[in-house]
Amino acid sequence: MSGRSGEELLDLARGALRAAGEAEAEVVVRGIRRGFARFAMGDLGQHMELDEPQALVRVAGGPKRAQVAQAATNLLDEASLVRAIHQAARASRAVPETAGFTGFTRGDEPTGASPPRFSRSTAELGAEGRSDRVARVLDAIGRAGLVAAGVLETRVTSLAVATTGGRAVSHDGTLANFKVWALETPGAGGAAGYGGAVHRDVDALDLEAETERAIRICRLGHGPVSLDEGAYDVVMEPAAVGELVDWLAGIAFSAQGVEQGTSALRGRMGERVTGEAITMTESPLDDGPFGVAPPFDREGVWRRTVPLIERGVARGVLYDRPTAARMGSTSTGSALLPDGVENPSIGAAAISMDGGSAASVEELIAGVTRGLYVCRLHYVNGLLDPRRTVMTGLTRDGCFLIENGQLARPVGNLRFTDSFLEALTRADGMTRERRAIPTGLSDAGAHVVPAVRLRGFRWNGRSQEQGV
Amino acid sequence: MPAPTAPASTDAPLRAALSLLERTPDVRYGEVHLVHETTERVHVRDGRPELVTGGTCAGASVRVLGERTWGFACTADLTEAGVVRAAREAIAVARASSRVARGTVVFPPAPPAIGSYETPLRVDPFDVPLGDKLAALMAPVQALLAAGKPVESAEASMEWTRLHKRMLSTEGSDTSQSFTYGACGMQVVAVDDAGHAQCRSYPVWVGGNGFQGGYERVAELDLLGHTARLAEEASALLRAPPCPAGVKDVILESSQVALQIHESCGHPTELDRAMGSEISLAGGSFLQPRMLGSFRYGAPMVNIVADSLTPTGLGTFGWDDEGTPAGRHPLVQEGMFVDYLSGRETAALLGRASTGTMRASGYDRTPLIRMVNVSLEPGTGTLEDLIADTEDGVYFECDKSWSIDDLRLNFQFSCELAWEIKRGKRTRLLRDPLYTGITPRFWQGCDAIAGPSEWRLWGVNSCGKGDPMQMMHVAHGASPARFREVTVGTTGSGS
Repeated sequence: MSGRSGEELLDLARGALRAAGEAEAEVVVRGIRRGFARFAMGDLGQHMELDEPQALVRVAGGPKRAQVAQAATNLLDEASLVRAIHQAARASRAVPETAGFTGFTRGDEPTGASPPRFSRSTAELGAEGRSDRVARVLDAIGRAGLVAAGVLETRVTSLAVATTGGRAVSHDGTLANFKVWALETPGAGGAAGYGGAVHRDVDALDLEAETERAIRICRLGHGPVSLDEGAYDVVMEPAAVGELVDWLAGIAFSAQGVEQGTSALRGRMGERVTGEAITMTESPLDDGPFGVAPPFDREGVWRRTVPLIERGVARGVLYDRPTAARMGSTSTGSALLPDGVENPSIGAAAISMDGGSAASVEELIAGVTRGLYVCRLHYVNGLLDPRRTVMTGLTRDGCFLIENGQLARPVGNLRFTDSFLEALTRADGMTRERRAIPTGLSDAGAHVVPAVRLRGFRWNGRSQEQGV
Repeated sequence: MPAPTAPASTDAPLRAALSLLERTPDVRYGEVHLVHETTERVHVRDGRPELVTGGTCAGASVRVLGERTWGFACTADLTEAGVVRAAREAIAVARASSRVARGTVVFPPAPPAIGSYETPLRVDPFDVPLGDKLAALMAPVQALLAAGKPVESAEASMEWTRLHKRMLSTEGSDTSQSFTYGACGMQVVAVDDAGHAQCRSYPVWVGGNGFQGGYERVAELDLLGHTARLAEEASALLRAPPCPAGVKDVILESSQVALQIHESCGHPTELDRAMGSEISLAGGSFLQPRMLGSFRYGAPMVNIVADSLTPTGLGTFGWDDEGTPAGRHPLVQEGMFVDYLSGRETAALLGRASTGTMRASGYDRTPLIRMVNVSLEPGTGTLEDLIADTEDGVYFECDKSWSIDDLRLNFQFSCELAWEIKRGKRTRLLRDPLYTGITPRFWQGCDAIAGPSEWRLWGVNSCGKGDPMQMMHVAHGASPARFREVTVGTTGSGS
């Protein structure tokens, strides 16, 4: 897999800025090359080599250099970037001034040391290598008498941001993402087990262990019983916790939500918002094995470590430059690249949720008299009542009744509707071990979360898998 | 922004790539796609320009069916060398995959598709000056903010896309299609002294109602004419009681029926989901092939059609990305489940013909089964007739949140507002309403659908599917409809 490095993209961006001659401009250039082996129905069906270049330029025109417009292109050559800059400059003439616009990132703003983000083995794994690895997964699940589905993705990202104010930062990163399902039936319901892992180094992914885990959960899930709605103590695996944390980031931790009045943290800084056991920190510069996020954001601002919730107390939210300027704060380096759907927005790249003292998920389960063990969630939506962080969603790929501290039997999928922050006031156990769960946004990042035990989580519906 | 022109001739690079596919013995079938997309987005929030952006994205993709299975590759390099390189990569991927594949894909031949399609429009949105677009959004936002407390925030946006697609295949297909997509809408947020927030949107959820057509649709929307009502409703919702929990007869306004169709009929009738090839993102489907023709999905009055010919629909085209011509295919007929959204490969597994729904979101994605215009056929009467005929019910309007399980059975939607209905009249406004149910039970409880005068086509710009994710333009036509004995409640405090 070949492509231009971040340094090469940075040279391209700076050359385009010089050639375009605009006084206040910004160029963001990103190259993504992905190998994507998607398997389903026990076979490798969709295997893709994807080339996804993208450039975004912004120009602040007008007498005060505060009329901001943007243009995009996927042609990464100097002439195309210059054309895009001129297009944005033309558009800026029609745009009203953005009050308080402070210019694009300057060269003298802080940077830091780039954390390790690149793996040669991920970058060099080709279609043959992905096919071979997937073949072993298909074999293992087939031998278990189950049906395989999933994805093995290898991604190389090069990123550069340059501004006329002298900002010049670049990044090279890799991501290997593995998701696997073992299923009783290919698409009709029945028991299912999931395994998954993300790492910058594809060789660090334990495909065999994740596959075995999916097989084990699937076998445990055979013949589920129905369970009545109500409040149950619940032990959630990191995959489930990570999805709720990702939604929490979107609805509560963005300064834009605070400004608009929809964030649960508006007016509550310094107040207790969860139980004391909960600490969440935006940690995009993590130099450990879980770190995958680029060290700077789409504005070229170096990302920061930001305490969000500290021992249950609200401590901070995430800003981009314009929002920070309006709200009298400073950017946390949290401006996201657009993902083709959403407008440029603020988002978390890597929330680290502190773990607890439990040595294992089994230890958390042992502390439940009657409750649920949830492996994963599906179709979570946090827009019901963002001020209270009310979310809804369903279990998927393994839900089990706990009786007297042990798994008793599998349960058909259930729907929850509850406030996540309020539920976290009832968290009384977390594992020491944590796992990285990829974020749902355009910038490659991952939240790092433990398994969590929540008391009295509210379940208000169940899926009807039989006899429809 | 000047109107985007058709892409410069790329005929030679596409034909060179096609020629390579045709000369390669282990390529059983191949497509070469050119996609050129021009977009413009304008977003105004709280009186300031939040985003003004225009852009182009162009590239070519190659999908080949090798000895046993598929390979796909793409490139933004539209030179002959670039597109041919992508073709070689796609062949290499197909070979690597075929080496480990367990089965052999069956892909039935089809007659070549030849011709062109273009969106009919009166005013080309790319000819309209940016200043006019900003003014069309700024005015309603200023009007919403002028309402004063408790209005806290207001925003409006519009989005335009010009999409050119060319497809050549080893079967001799050669199609050119040019689409113009638009969307426009606004939202207001009101916050009371206690910090409770309520929002109202027009015409629907954030991002606006999508359509295929021109700038003439913006004037038809009349954003400014709806600002007073929107601000008033957002404020009134702060004072309204929560929707009481219980089992009620429910009336959904047209856009909410559209979303109900999208989630509980559109997705579960995607044959790739039903067969299990979408597990890695979205899940499966309760609608299994053994149920075709024998399963009662809804009440006898329920007729749902996949129609890629509906004028102005986001799911309207000349051919899908496999060259299957647009058409009209009943999915639910008099309440019975009768067909799937399918492509050539999946339909062949059931011994059926493709219903022509394979589409890719861009040059960098492989075609998948996607909804087209999946619509509920109208019944009779009006929304007011439905309300007048309801003894004890709740009327829901404008979706706020959505969630449904991985087989598309258990759903839960919340809306921006609801009205209590007692003895045929709207009696009081209700805040934070939700309703929930099980798909076939819900549709079997449908006992009234308003008539053609109330039927509207609603566009969804961002239907997500696939892995990696693809966002697709789809649409749903619907009239307001009534559903008996539905569980309702509230998302907010007071539940």
